[in-house]
Amino acid sequence: MDYSQTFAISAAGMNVERLRVDVSALNLANANAALTAGGVNYQPLRVVTTASHVESFNSLVGGGLAGPQALVEPGTQPARQVLEPGNPAADAQGFVRYPGVDTTVEMMTLMSATRAYEANVAALNAARSMATKALEIGGGK
Amino acid sequence: MSVDAIAAIGAIQEPSLAPASGIAGLAGTPQAGAFANLVTDGIGQVNDQLMTSQVQLQQLAAGAPVNLHQVMIGLEVSRMSFQLLMQVRNRLLEGYQEVMRMQV
Repeated sequence: MDYSQTFAISAAGMNVERLRVDVSALNLANANAALTAGGVNYQPLRVVTTASHVESFNSLVGGGLAGPQALVEPGTQPARQVLEPGNPAADAQGFVRYPGVDTTVEMMTLMSATRAYEANVAALNAARSMATKALEIGGGK
Repeated sequence: MSVDAIAAIGAIQEPSLAPASGIAGLAGTPQAGAFANLVTDGIGQVNDQLMTSQVQLQQLAAGAPVNLHQVMIGLEVSRMSFQLLMQVRNRLLEGYQEVMRMQV
């Protein structure tokens, strides 16, 4: 049975969506870590996905390279400035700098990644039920 | 998603209606024990897949960083191959019983 290729494609999609959720969770977790002059500063990350090398659909499926390729890149959002004069990390004007994490964008990423993961599961289930149906051929008598 | 992304589907080969070469090969005299080998190999493959998914399950239970969906997909694959094995067995048994019911 060659359904394992279909499963591998869906699994590649699920891997990418998992990565998206992981990166979003990391961004959210570090959203409120103040940036200091000499310390470790968190740079917001983002996932950039590209299609893998496209020649033809057949070779794509046969070669097992059908999944998208994901890269984790540092984001380019400017740091967030909050007026907190009492904070030890504050500068001369009383501003504390935080990583440029947009929580709304991160929530959107989480939601769309969840939905995309579900879509991959649906595709996999469709392939599986087709295989199960094929096993019923001639079983009715 | 742009329409260009699915343009690659046009490159799929259309199925040819010429008879497959494998069927022509069946016309010759079958080798002795070839079918038994086929069945034994099939059972061995199903067993391998079951063992693989069992190892993955053990790794998951032991806390190893295994992707949950990979384990579930492995379980589904082994279940499907086991169902295929059961269907083959059912067909064989039906054929045998059919022969045994034959009037002489």
